[in-house]
Amino acid sequence: MGHLGERLSALVDGELGPAEHESALIHLAKCEPCRFEADMMRRLKRRLNGLCEPEPDTDFMGRLTSLSQDHGPAGRGPSDPPSGGAGFGARPPLGSSRPLGGLSGGGHPAAAPGVPPTPGDAAPTRPGRAERPDRRRFGGDRLAHLFPAFPGGRYAVAGLAVATALIGSAFVAGGDSEETPVVEPRLSDYAVEHAVTSRHMPVVDASPTAADAPHGSSEATR
Amino acid sequence: MNAEGHPSARSTPVILLVVALLCALLLTAAACPGAAAVPAEGSDNGMPVLRSAAAAEDEVAYSAVREMTGPEGAQDREVRVRVVNRPGEGMALAPVGDEESALVVRSSSALESLDERLLSMLQDTYSVMDAGVADLGGRETRVVEAERADGTVAGRFWVDTGTGLLLGRTVYGAPGEPALSVRLTGLVLGEGPWPDGETGDLPWGDALTGAERADLRGRGWHLPEYLAWNLRLVDARSTRHAERRVVHAVYSDGLSQVSVFTQRGKLDAEHSPTLRNGYVGTGTGGGGVTTQHDTIFGGDTGQYQSMWQADGFVYTVLADAPAGLASSAVTALPDPGGSGFWARVRRGLARLGFL
Repeated sequence: MGHLGERLSALVDGELGPAEHESALIHLAKCEPCRFEADMMRRLKRRLNGLCEPEPDTDFMGRLTSLSQDHGPAGRGPSDPPSGGAGFGARPPLGSSRPLGGLSGGGHPAAAPGVPPTPGDAAPTRPGRAERPDRRRFGGDRLAHLFPAFPGGRYAVAGLAVATALIGSAFVAGGDSEETPVVEPRLSDYAVEHAVTSRHMPVVDASPTAADAPHGSSEATR
Repeated sequence: MNAEGHPSARSTPVILLVVALLCALLLTAAACPGAAAVPAEGSDNGMPVLRSAAAAEDEVAYSAVREMTGPEGAQDREVRVRVVNRPGEGMALAPVGDEESALVVRSSSALESLDERLLSMLQDTYSVMDAGVADLGGRETRVVEAERADGTVAGRFWVDTGTGLLLGRTVYGAPGEPALSVRLTGLVLGEGPWPDGETGDLPWGDALTGAERADLRGRGWHLPEYLAWNLRLVDARSTRHAERRVVHAVYSDGLSQVSVFTQRGKLDAEHSPTLRNGYVGTGTGGGGVTTQHDTIFGGDTGQYQSMWQADGFVYTVLADAPAGLASSAVTALPDPGGSGFWARVRRGLARLGFL
């Protein structure tokens, strides 16, 4: 039994004829991977429809960029069109690849039950092109399992960057100023001043001594 | 039915536990040492006696020996100073046997004003009560007690009923033990011999107004109005050493006096702050000052001192106060731990205007 392939995208877009539509629905009833992929495509479509702002979301742009990079060799800029001159949407449908949720048993899609790995099997895309996005998604899934779901992640990263910049700036600004003078408090003068206001004998010897003399009013700038 | 009974049965111990914790919290709060850390209310009927004693210093000429005694257990806890008071001229102080090292305090309106503020602070902080008549060294005196809010005595005054002079004063620490006692003995009325070659004069002339203090605070100076609930700023003056400003802030509770000298700068790393009388201040160049910040030096005669640097300023504290009060004054000032990462970040945030 072959999967729906491109017809899956057409099914989600409502572009199939009545007979093909009926056939696709029958296949979906029997094929768990295609049903799962159809569900994912519907969600994606709903999300795309929900984008009403003129400026696309940065997350979405990032995914667009990554999708476009998957089409060609590494090193292409994010603004470069995907290979073949086709834009997003013109890419072969997801049905030609392994379903997003993977298959029971964890095997390669070509080894899925009922799908013999024959070279003559109708496949709309080359196998190599179909494997790359899967590998990326699997890596993301593994990370998603490691970290709890946190919808405000982007804001947390932005906040962390701002806090780091602020602390760094404060650390630089908090350094000792080169202009801070080196002073030697005149304890004798302080003792006299304190004694005058308290009318007690000074807490330290008020008479000037050699200890005060060399530095008496010493003040240097380092 | 049973299913409804179980939750209430489980919540009952929790409620009892919460109530017990609240009771324990209330009892702890009621018995905490800070219960006396509030101004004491009272009729203050001892204030007229003290005001008359302050006025007598400006009217009665005398000479006597002032005996200053520090807390019990201290070595060399007694100092004897010869005092000569001349109304309108000032007061001369000289250690007995070393009259050449005399200190003269000239009479000035600044000091009279300071006396008034000290008396006001005493009245605001304590309940100042007339405690009757007592004999002190063969002279009849009127005793005035300054009581804390918890009823303990923080200070006691003996005022001579004949001359109106203050003959004795004792400041008690929180445990009730004498921290600093002053007695006038050998009182002789009339003008005594005035020492020659004296040092001292008037307080620094540049008295700082509230607006000037606010301006200094805006430029990073630490000049709080209070160091503790009972240590209020009663006077602030300024002078210049080597063309740079030094601020002398006086804090008092009415009984004790703490002087805080502040100047911009840092201590010389090569300069030893060892004082001539054997006391050692904070470490050099900021090194080791953190561990000594809470330590105040002196105390034999109820006088303490400390010096350190923090946030680009050097602080010197000289205190005639019980050790606890002097220590609380020191710790209320900026901490010298300015060499750590977060201290530097905090200083930078302050300089950038975020703090």
